Amino acid sequence: MKILAVEFLRESLKKRPEGYVELRYHKRQTFSVSVKDGKIDVLNSGAIEGACARVLIDGSWGFASSTVLEKEKIDKMLKDATSLAKSSKPKKKRVVKLASLKPYVDRYETPMKKDPVKADKEELVSLVIDVDNAVRDFSKTIVSDTVTFNIVNDNLAFLSSEGSEIHQRIVRCFGSVTVVAREKGNIASAYESIGEQSGLEVLEKTPLMNAGLTAAERASKLVSAKVAPAGYHQVILENRIAGLLAHEAVGHCAEADLVFGGSFLANKIGEKVASEKVTLVDDGVLPNGFGTMKYDDEGVPTQKTIIIEKGISKGFLHSRETAQHFGVSPTGNARAWTFEYDPIIRMRNTYIETGDYTLDELAEDIKEGFFLKGGLSGQADFNGEFMFGTQEAIRIRNGKFAESLRGVTISGNAFEVLKNVDAVGKDFVMRTGLCGKEQVNYVGIGGPSLRTKVLMGGAK
Amino acid sequence: MSLLDFTELAVKTCQKLGADESEAFIQNQQIMEVVLERAEIQNERFKTQSGVGIRVIKDKKLGFAFASKLSKESIEETCREAISLAKVSVPNPEWVSLPLKERLPRTPEGIFDPEIANISGDKMLNLVINAYDAAKGYDKRVDIDDGKFSAILNEIAVANSHGVEAQEKTTRIEGYLVCIAKEHGETSSMAYEYDVSTMLKEFSPEKIGRSAAEKALSSLHPKTVESFTGKVILDSDPISFILFYPVISSVNADNVQRGRSLWAGKIGEKVAASKLTVFDDGLMPKGVGSLNFDFEGVPRQKTPIITRGKLEGFIHNSFTANKEGRKSTGNAYRESYNVLPTVAASNFVIKAGKKRLDELIAEVDKGIIVRRFSGNVRPESGEFSGIAKQASYIENGQIKHALGETMISGNAFQALKDIIDIGCEIRPTEIRAYTPPILVDNIHIISKQ
Repeated sequence: MKILAVEFLRESLKKRPEGYVELRYHKRQTFSVSVKDGKIDVLNSGAIEGACARVLIDGSWGFASSTVLEKEKIDKMLKDATSLAKSSKPKKKRVVKLASLKPYVDRYETPMKKDPVKADKEELVSLVIDVDNAVRDFSKTIVSDTVTFNIVNDNLAFLSSEGSEIHQRIVRCFGSVTVVAREKGNIASAYESIGEQSGLEVLEKTPLMNAGLTAAERASKLVSAKVAPAGYHQVILENRIAGLLAHEAVGHCAEADLVFGGSFLANKIGEKVASEKVTLVDDGVLPNGFGTMKYDDEGVPTQKTIIIEKGISKGFLHSRETAQHFGVSPTGNARAWTFEYDPIIRMRNTYIETGDYTLDELAEDIKEGFFLKGGLSGQADFNGEFMFGTQEAIRIRNGKFAESLRGVTISGNAFEVLKNVDAVGKDFVMRTGLCGKEQVNYVGIGGPSLRTKVLMGGAK
Repeated sequence: MSLLDFTELAVKTCQKLGADESEAFIQNQQIMEVVLERAEIQNERFKTQSGVGIRVIKDKKLGFAFASKLSKESIEETCREAISLAKVSVPNPEWVSLPLKERLPRTPEGIFDPEIANISGDKMLNLVINAYDAAKGYDKRVDIDDGKFSAILNEIAVANSHGVEAQEKTTRIEGYLVCIAKEHGETSSMAYEYDVSTMLKEFSPEKIGRSAAEKALSSLHPKTVESFTGKVILDSDPISFILFYPVISSVNADNVQRGRSLWAGKIGEKVAASKLTVFDDGLMPKGVGSLNFDFEGVPRQKTPIITRGKLEGFIHNSFTANKEGRKSTGNAYRESYNVLPTVAASNFVIKAGKKRLDELIAEVDKGIIVRRFSGNVRPESGEFSGIAKQASYIENGQIKHALGETMISGNAFQALKDIIDIGCEIRPTEIRAYTPPILVDNIHIISKQ
């Protein structure tokens, strides 16, 4: 299909604009169903569409974007970006240089069995309603729920003055369930999600119903539970939250822009930074990964980038600019949320490689500790200090799982926590994430259950 | 065509296509943005964005569609999509009506500043450089990591099939800086400073720079203290998230009606210390969330929430108000044109106390002060736990040293009752709450010791 806006972008490149020019076109079509407490809250469908220009002149960037895709507006957008690059030049000390890149002309589309464009909307609505019914029927303590299912269909074009022209269609399907339970003046909530980069077949692989029932069970169990105790404890992180450790504790510190500022991985390539049980990667080509793309938003082919291999620090995540600065090849980590943003260094699918322990084996050697389940949001600091929330903490006594408590936020220093990983499970899973760093983006996070030590911010 | 013309076209088209009721919301934004990355100005962006969201109701079934393109054809297509979605939806028995036409109050003062609306790229850069120089000039040990400054012109228009029609322009300038301090091979934790204003002349990038630098420096060379339960001063930013995010969630009528609020049925009861008074004021002069109408076109107002510790009222949009047969409080909000209105605070104001921050510190025999919180808050139950960032240990009314690897935890609803004192320095925070620093008792302070 010919996109008129892309024709305009191509024409404006033909006029040989000044400097290095990147033009991107992006149309994001979304469809979402949301059911709250048995009532359809909304059926929402629509599209945002726009283009942007990023221009590099004498080592200075300028950027402009527009949702008006007429020929004159596109020319003006390029002119705005050019004049911002020039006018800001005297105020910048750093001279930007890009790692060289061979131009690519290519097309890519998410491999799919059931393209959601052809989806029967009524069928999707009834699926969401079924989950909502089952969740509310799970227990008398459940007072409220929200079930959503979303389809995001991105059409992207990347054109550069170096001769690249890349078209990508990325399709993501994902859903979530939040449940609130109440009993005798106590209240507890739980959250679960599913999703991947694929068509609607994701609903067969990981049914939304399972997520709904997991959340319902957790909320009704925790409503009468106490908050887990505070302190420095030995823990098993469930496979569904191991990815939060990979992403928050390690991934951010491997982003070259943070390395530049002196993150805890800076100057540590080749050094031991984790236990030899830990191999950690950021993978741009993982099949069905929520953050997978064939090319990043600078037109660089993505790859599987090893950050830590058997405990040894191996590499960082780069844009063309930081790759040039560090004297390495770009890794395809420059990503932009929409046409309204220039690409910055982001993770794609970050995970810890699988090990060989079963869950019972992980618990076996724990005298007194916790099995932490269900992720909440997280954050990382420069100095390696990270945190993320957990929903449920199952007590472990003498190697056996005991009662459930309300989960708490855990924190630690990435170095220490990774060195303390003494056993890695074989129950590897990937899941979806939304990471915020100046702009948000879809990422995949994953790993197997693993054993380490963290500080828990709980009750007395 | 003006924005209001487009909304009228949308409403007319939907009604012609057979909608019982319809509403169009249009947003048009111009944003000038400067991004700092790796201790430097990385990029300057100029963005224009606009779009329309169309809500239709047919036999109590709701459909919603949006588009980022504003043209006659695009609007007509979006109307058709909204109607077709309403047709495959399921009736909501609780649906009553879109808002009816009402007289709007006068536009609040100081919500539009032509100096922000027409700011040049060059002027924006100079503002950022002022923040940058203020941080770097504060102390040699300070480095800037990243930051972003944005000047935003926001124009909205809303119309519905009951004759509601409203259009207004607002401006906002905001910015944040993240600083770190380095000394003897040691790196401080990341210090974050943010400010926002509707008027350019009241926005001080220098203050952001100085304050971010000062926070970074004061967190160098941290120590830990043995875990204890006691007094904590939470600065404006952490207090707004830890205490007032659960409060806003619990007075949101949608949560109240859905059993998600512990405060359902508790109007008139004491929920906080007597020192605490809170109101939501959609008409506050120069308020970041001020406007004479909300995002459904309903008049905004000042709504008492907590008066001297007693729960006074909840905030509503037209849907939650209609369910109870009462008037909306004008708290319909949309993050963007592409989503349906929810219920949200406009300007959530905590009434200032009398003491300056240094006077609050002087009151503490043993405790800590927390200026950034990196953690999780459960809005329904009020449980919170997370890392105390830019925290310091206080003994006998004096700051002793920076704290590292320290977490705090507790329950927001209990903490509201354990408020000891409220500061006088009110600041807008990122959740549109205007909060002072507050001294609270009985918080768990947790370290490995």
